[in-house]
This record gives sequence, C-alpha cells and structure tokens, in this order.
Amino acid sequence: MADLLSKLRMLDAAPRRSPAAPRTQEEGCYRAQATFPLSIFTDLRHLTPAVMESAFGFAFPSDLRPEDILFLDTETTGLAGGAGTVAFLVGLGYFTDGGFCVEQVLMRDYGQESELLRTVTAVAGRFSVLCTFNGRTFDAPLLTSRFVMNRISARLPDVHADVLYPARRLWKLRLKRCTLAHLEEQLLHVKREDDLPGAEVPQTYFRYLRDGDFAPIERILAHNRQDIVSLAQLLCFLCGQVDCPETVESGQDLLSLARSLERRGDTAKAVKCYRLCARGDTRAEAYHALARERRRAGDVTAAIRLYETMLRRGDDPVTACEALAKLYEHRLHNPAQALSYTRQALLLLSEPGLFRSEAVQDRQVALQYRYARLRRRLCAACAKSTEKEEPSSWES
Amino acid sequence: MNLDQLIGRLQADRAFMDCVTEWRTLPATEGRYAPLPDDMDPRLCDVLRARGIHRLYCHQAECFRLAQQGRDFVVVTPTASGKTLCYNLPVVSAILKNSDARALYLFPTKALSADQVSGLYDMIEALGVDIKTYTYDGDTQAAARKAIREAGHIVVTNPDMLHANILPHHTRWVKLFENLEYIVIDELHTYRGIFGSHLANVLRRLMRLCAFYGSHPRFILCSATIANPVELATQLTGREITAVTENGAPMGERHFVFYNPPVVNRQLGIRRGVVNEVKRIAEGLLRNDIPSIVFCKSRIQVEVITRHLKECARNAYGYSGRVRGYRGGYLPSERREIERGLRAGEVDMVVSTNALELGIDIGSLTACVLCGYPGTIASTWQQAGRAGRRKDTALTILVASSAPLDQYVIQHPDYFFRASPEHALVQPNNLYVLTSHIKCAAYELPFEEDERFGGLPDTAQFLEYLTENNILRHVDHKYYWMEEELPSGEISLRSARTENFVIIDITNPAHHRVVGEMDRFTVPMLLHENAIYMHDARMYQVEKLDLAACKAYIRAVDVDYYTDADLNVSLHILDDLEHRPLSCGGDVALGELRVSTIVKMFKKFKLDTHESVGFGEVRLPQTDLHTVGMWWTLPDSLTGRFGNDALQGALVGIANLLSIVAPLYLMCAPRDINVVYQVKAPITDKPTLFLYDTYPGGVGLSEKACHMQELLLEHALDIAQGCGCESGCPSCVGPASQVGERGKADAIAILKELLA
Repeated sequence: MADLLSKLRMLDAAPRRSPAAPRTQEEGCYRAQATFPLSIFTDLRHLTPAVMESAFGFAFPSDLRPEDILFLDTETTGLAGGAGTVAFLVGLGYFTDGGFCVEQVLMRDYGQESELLRTVTAVAGRFSVLCTFNGRTFDAPLLTSRFVMNRISARLPDVHADVLYPARRLWKLRLKRCTLAHLEEQLLHVKREDDLPGAEVPQTYFRYLRDGDFAPIERILAHNRQDIVSLAQLLCFLCGQVDCPETVESGQDLLSLARSLERRGDTAKAVKCYRLCARGDTRAEAYHALARERRRAGDVTAAIRLYETMLRRGDDPVTACEALAKLYEHRLHNPAQALSYTRQALLLLSEPGLFRSEAVQDRQVALQYRYARLRRRLCAACAKSTEKEEPSSWES
Repeated sequence: MNLDQLIGRLQADRAFMDCVTEWRTLPATEGRYAPLPDDMDPRLCDVLRARGIHRLYCHQAECFRLAQQGRDFVVVTPTASGKTLCYNLPVVSAILKNSDARALYLFPTKALSADQVSGLYDMIEALGVDIKTYTYDGDTQAAARKAIREAGHIVVTNPDMLHANILPHHTRWVKLFENLEYIVIDELHTYRGIFGSHLANVLRRLMRLCAFYGSHPRFILCSATIANPVELATQLTGREITAVTENGAPMGERHFVFYNPPVVNRQLGIRRGVVNEVKRIAEGLLRNDIPSIVFCKSRIQVEVITRHLKECARNAYGYSGRVRGYRGGYLPSERREIERGLRAGEVDMVVSTNALELGIDIGSLTACVLCGYPGTIASTWQQAGRAGRRKDTALTILVASSAPLDQYVIQHPDYFFRASPEHALVQPNNLYVLTSHIKCAAYELPFEEDERFGGLPDTAQFLEYLTENNILRHVDHKYYWMEEELPSGEISLRSARTENFVIIDITNPAHHRVVGEMDRFTVPMLLHENAIYMHDARMYQVEKLDLAACKAYIRAVDVDYYTDADLNVSLHILDDLEHRPLSCGGDVALGELRVSTIVKMFKKFKLDTHESVGFGEVRLPQTDLHTVGMWWTLPDSLTGRFGNDALQGALVGIANLLSIVAPLYLMCAPRDINVVYQVKAPITDKPTLFLYDTYPGGVGLSEKACHMQELLLEHALDIAQGCGCESGCPSCVGPASQVGERGKADAIAILKELLA
C-alpha cells in the first residue's frame, strides 16, 4: 500500500504541504490576568437578586452578591458546535473587592485541552451564577461537550443568566440588531480600536498552531477580554434600567421594558413605565396599555377616560373606538353609545387611501358584525317601546 | 371478479397467452412454528397471546435464541414473513430486563421508519411499560429532539441522520451511546454499492464512539433474499455474522407470468412498447377491481401510466383517487397519505418506482405488474412480493421491454428461476468514501497514533494525508480536527451531489406552492426549462430552473405530450492504473475516468401513442463524475479494414453485448455500470470500448471486469453466435437498424480477433 498516499493525493488537485509547526513548549496553557477598576461599572449597585429576577424572569439565590457571578466567554475553532469544535480560549471575569478581574486560559495546542478545562472548572466552582452572552445555546453546551470528550465530570454553575434574552426584550425594538458588539456601541458607547472580527478567530488560531507566531493571538485575547468587560457592563446597565426606569431615555426602550414587565406579571412597575413613555411616538401604545390595565382592574371610568383621550388626540382611534364600544356595551350596558362608537370606528376604517390589508379587512368584518348585533339589540328594545328606529345610511 | 377468476380468463385468452413465454405457478407452503420461548419475559408472552400469537414462526424463535446468546445475526426472509418481531422481541425484552438499555433502529428511508414505529408503539402500549420509542429524522421537531436524546429507549432513524446529526454531536447522546445494546438494520440488501460502502463506514464511526463510551452493542440485521447476505452483513458491520434463512411463514399460491409484447415489425425486431402493454394489462386489473401495484423503472413512466389509468378510473364525478402515482420527488406528507389510502383500501391501484419496493406496509394487494425487468433477480422477487401477503393467491406479470437484458430474461425464464439472486457488492474501503469518513471520524473523536479505523492497517497513511492538507493536526500522539466546518455537512451518503432541488408551482401567482423535490443528478433530465413535468398525473411546464438557488419553477399546463431529455456523455481518461497488452495488438487498461454528462436537447412525445412530435434545446452546464473504469483499446488497423461507418456499427454491437453480459458476471444492476465506445479516442486516435462504474470513485465493478475481461468477451461472442437472428436483434448486438446490416458479422469478427 505504499502507493496509497499517492493515490490519495491524486484525489485532490493540489495537495498543500505546509511546514510542520514547531512543537509546543512544555510550559502548559497560556494564562493571562487583567484587573479593571470598579469605576467603569457605574450601575453595579443595581446588581441585586430582585432586579436580576425582574430582568431575566427567573429567581436568583437570595444572598446573591456581584462577586458570586462568573462572566464567561469562549473563543472556538468554529461555530458548528459538534464534537470536533473546540473552545481554545476561555475568558472568565468576576468582581473582587477592588475591581473586576479577567482571567484568560488559552491552550497552545490541542493536547492542552484537558488542562484548560480543569483550570476553568476550578475557577467556575467558586461561583453560583454564570453570566454569558448567547451562552445558553452556544458556550455552555460546547463546554459541556468538551467535558464529556475529556471525561471531566465537573459542571458549570446551575443558574445561567444569558444576557442575550433580556437584551432582545428590551432593545430589539429600537436597535433592531442585538449582537454584543452592536449593544456595546449603542448602549455603552464603547469604540473598539483594531478589533479582530469574530469570523476570523478560528483561522487565526489555526495559523498560530501552524507557524507558532503568537502576535495574532494577542488580538484574540484582547477581543475576548473586551467581550467579557462589555458583558459585565451590559449586565450592570441592564439592571440599572430595570431598577430605575425613570433614567431610561428612549421611549421605545421604556415601552419594551413595560411590556416585558407586564408579561412577567409585575403590573405596578409596568404601569409606571407606561406612564413614563406616554409621550412621543410611544404615546398611543402606552395609553392603550394603561387603559387596558384599568379595564382589567375594573376601573371602567378611568379606562373610558384614557380611551377618550386617545380618540381626542387621534392616537390609534379605531382601537380606542372599538374598546369604548365594548366597554359601553358590556360594562355600562349602553348599546346606543356602543353603536355610536362602532359606527365611528367603521367610518375611520373606511377612509379612502387606507391600505386594505387582510388584518384591516378582518377588523372591518368584526366591527360590522358588532354593529349588526348592536342594531338588532336596539331594534328589539325599540320594538318594545314601540319607537321607530332611524334607518342606517351605510347599510343600504 | 376475483383473482382466481381473472387468472382463469387470462389463461383462456389466446392473444394474451401467445405472448406469455412462461407461466410459473409456485405452490402454497405451510407455516413452520415454534412455541413462545421459555426465557422470554412473561409480560411479552401475554401481549403476544392477547394479539392471538400463541406460537412464533420458526425463524422468529431462532432469532430470539441467537439474541439471547449475544450473537450478531442476519435474518433473510421474504416480504410479509413477520420479520419485525425478529428484532422487536429481543430488543423489547432487553429493555424490560434493564430499563437503561438503548437500541438504535436504522431504516434506509424515512417512510419505512414511520411505518415500523407504529407497530412497535402498539406493542409497547399493550405492554403498559415506559419504553420510549422515537423517530429521529429531518421531520422531527426541534423541541422533541432534546427529549429523544435523553430519554429515548429506541431511537429510530436512517443512516443519513446518524451520519450528519447524531455522530457529529455524540456528546449530546451520552445516554444512548453508554447504554447501546442493539443496533437493528432493516432492509440490509439496499446497502449495496456506494450507499453500502458509506453505511459500512458510518457503522465504523458508530462502533468507534461506542468503544469510547464503553458499550458493545450487538447487530440484528434483516435482508430480503440476496446471494450473499452473510458476506454483506460481515462487510458492513465488521462482525462475525450468523444467518437465519429458514422462513417459517406460510405462503399462498403465486403465479409468475413472463409476458413478451407481440412483435409488430419482424424485420426490424420491433415489439409493441412496454408502456402501452402495461397500460392495457393494468387497465384490465383496474376494471376488475383487483388491487394492484405497477412497478416502473423511471419517474416519467410512472407519470405516463398513472395518467392513463386515472382517465380509465375517473368516475361520473370526475374522481380518480383510486389510482395514485408514487415515486421519489413527492413530498413526504403526500407519500404518507398514499400509503394510508392503500392500507385503508381507498386506493386500489398504485403506480410506483422502486420506492415502494421496500417493506412499507401497503396492505394487501393481490396483483403486481412489472413494467420492464427490474434489473436484478432480488429486486424482481422483492417487487413481486408486494402482491399477495400471507395466504392468498397472488399474480405477478413481468412485461418485458425491448431492452436486451429484458429480452434475454423473458426468453430464458429458466435463467431467472434457476439463478441465485445477485450478490450485493460493497467496498467499504473505497478511497473516496473512506477518506470522507475518516475525516468525519476525526471530527468526532481525535485519532490515536496507532488507531486502526475499521481495523485498517493503512489508517495512519490517511491521517498523514489529511495532516498534510491541514485538515488534521498531528500533536501529542493524536490527530485533531483543524477546520471550522463540520465535515459531515458536505458528505452525502446517497449521491455525489448533496443538494436537493425544490419544485415550486407558480400557477397561482399569489400562492407559490412546493410540490416536490428532486436530487441534483436527475434535475437536468426532468426539470430543464420547457420540460413537461408530471406530478401525480397533473402536467406542468418548467418555466425557470434556478441552479444557484436549487429551485425549479413550474406552471400547470394542458398539453398532450411529454418530454424526455437526451443525455450527452463524454469521457476522459485521467490516469491508468493497470495496463495489459492484448495479442491482437491492442491493450486493456484500468484507470480513473471523468465522465461528463450534459443535456443539450429534449424530445416531445405524444401522450397516448408515444410517437415523437418534436424537440427543443436545453442550456445547462455539464455534470462531472469521477470514477473508475476499464477500457479496451483496439488496434487502429481496424479502422482501415472496416471503414468508419462499419466499425461504428460493430462497436455499438459489442457495447450492447457487453452491457448484457457484464451485469450477469458483475452481479450488479445494469445501471451500476455503463458501456460506451469511441471510434477514435481523443488521445490515442484508436477505437476504444469503455466500461465504467456509475458511482463517484467507483465501487470495484470495473476492476472486477478488467480481471475477467476475456470471460466477458467470450460470453459476448457466444451470445452473438448463438442468437438465431439474421443481422442483429435486441437480445444480442441490437437491432440491425442500430448496428447496420453487417454489424453483427463485424462484431463477431472483432470479438474473435480480440480473443485470438
């Protein structure tokens, strides 16, 4: 089978033999450590279990301190996430008394993976909460997979706060894109100089394995370090916004926050946020939400007042009319008034120039149905009191 | 009319019987039974008894015994012999014994797995125990996947999913790999050729991971009748395999009719077309309400025949759902619906490609019509087996086409009934296949320096090759994966190209609709622009073929013709590996070839008469196949002696003869190889005959042919000399219209020279 190799090479048009890399030194994984001053984490004081719960939607240990959170980000040999994808660099960040510490462990070659993972688990064991960006679907399963491959039985902290999810809930409406880099630029106003694009990371590492030149690796380390710091800052910023909505500047962010709080059942705080954003382009939405909340609480008078305000200002008047019609029909038992609002809604909808999307058509049909029903009720009432009813103009 | 009456009537029909070259009646056989095994879990025995099973067929009992002994075995029985119990009984008892035990079921297609799982569900439900059985394939919801990975006792999947989804992500399947006790592989005979070579390597990867997780699963394999089930099973699994071949299931009386369409032009040797004859015969079955299946060899045939039968079956309300077409390219949901219809008896005539040849439960059909010889003995029996399940009389009519192989079989029925079924060939160490899977294996788990993949001593050479190409990194006595991408993503087990084309109906501009899908290789033939594409007998015209996006846009039309594309093949020698001179001055060689195919034109045929009514142009890029082939280079003195035209006729004749002979010796389907000739080969300028494997990288057929080339030529000569025709017929060199008046004599002369 001496010719097997030549046969194999034939399969490939242009076999490339590259010089073998210098064998790695015996010194083990590369490790780096850096400490950042606490002053760059302005909202650190908002990092409490209650605020975290409000932001993430699940409970955290009641004695949680910022020092108990491990921030983690990995650099990998690919995005496929299968058994052959390796995390060659793991960055770990945590708060200490005097600052924010970032520890980085990098394997100089594949043979050091086990050492890298053991270093990581030794650190991770000290923390009760893991914080990542998109780690729930990427970093955590990948590391778990690496533990299996290396027969390591350790685990990452059970409680996992993946900032991507609350970030989407709070900022997607305004910022559209929710990558860490984009959030960092828009919210934290960080400008990265000469940053290595994430897509180039695997090839840069492979090149290092082949030629042993460490310089490009420094760029990966810097990139990873910045990711960890940004992640911690982003968590602080997130908690600050959730804790003190009055400091939130953007109406859209407030609206997003309010919706997320409302979904979570934190009505009181949601109402507070809706009130804060009841201005500008979010006014209609906020009034509608506030009126809905009043209606659900049984405060019909307040709900009607809010809807009437919407109608008067022309904020989503069709919805306002429809809601008023419902309230007048079912709560105040005033079908005549309900009919009047329904007619108003239909008139608004039939305005020329309005795009007749399917949703608009559905709405029209529902209103017409309501209108017909109300008229029947009124007619029956009329018949009882032997009064005649005015014929409707639009039905003819 | 029932089937016995119809058989009586057919036998009394002179015109029909004149065309019958053989009417073979295979007597009914009694069942052979064994008691329920003593060592089977009593709960399982109770469930079987409750379903009226008080004893097992002897082969089922034998399988259970072998499983208890921890043996790897293959069970070889015909369709409808209760083979699912052969593996379900051992597997379910193992899980009853140990609730952590896991089993993996592999079926070649999705349809089969869906069908088999429903039977297993019933058994488990009757047992009232918590044995979780899941199908894991492309249709499985993402949400369900996690549960399957963690809790599935029996995971039912196919080799493609195992290859592309399970093995590369094995760390998510820890429970399965740690506790795997059985690997069940059904329809073993389908894993031949390149597909089999792929499966063998997927299994090598699977076993490698099992070793990593410390499990040692056993194999239970099921196969239809082939010549070498044990050899095939051994090659695929790398294990020593015991065979269970005695079938204990009873069988009804079976009629096997060989039908050769009548000759309409004796001089030209032209017979009535196979499609027309099949239409007529199937129509007779349909009108007499005999539930039947028609097997066709191409997708176009399926659609043409379905369309005709639907017309016949259309009732007063225009409903023709009794007749359905079935083939690859229909969407899974549509296929499931047809299968359900067949089982429920709502569909009583199905026209199919070999897609329905495998063990999908389609209820009890009583008759089967084969439109042309399926190409292999095993396949023929398998298709015939779809009619007449269990104890009823069954009828199979094989209608021959004018293809030489069909004519040979139809005129030599003994050849068919006496011959053992074909060998299933696999070449697990096919370079192309092996290299791909070593890559996948390296991704899944780094190779140790002294590791032997599938026991191969050359493993290290492959690893060094991959290291040279910077795909692996050799460090610390191991080989690590050093690429970003997942290697399995670009390796498809089924054909060289990976992507499927989606077929989109744009008749309604507001509502584009996906009606089917098609593999890339078939696309140029059936979905080139202006092609008439038929789907369940509805006609569409292809408006646009988007090669980059893998989409074909079709629009409903009402035309009375269909199209068939002409495939142009050109051939280049890349390298010759072996070279032997012939005494006549030429030589014979084995080497690597590039076969380029391109569709340049298509013909239009009238729907009812199949006469040609025009043609059109096709503009598509060519498709390349790199494969192994052998070739005879003939002395160029022949050109001078015979003249170009006569030489061409003779070469056509020899190529035809070789296409008849070679499959018989190589034990493959005619489509597995291709024989072509060149009057002047581009480099040598000499007349050349090529025989090559139609699979990328080759599957060893040409290699075998090269080593037995004299035998092939001798047999070809025998056929030509022994044939009673005057100047060629489809059963030897081909009709005179194709080879010329002197074609037969010239072919014989050249063959004699080559053998001198």
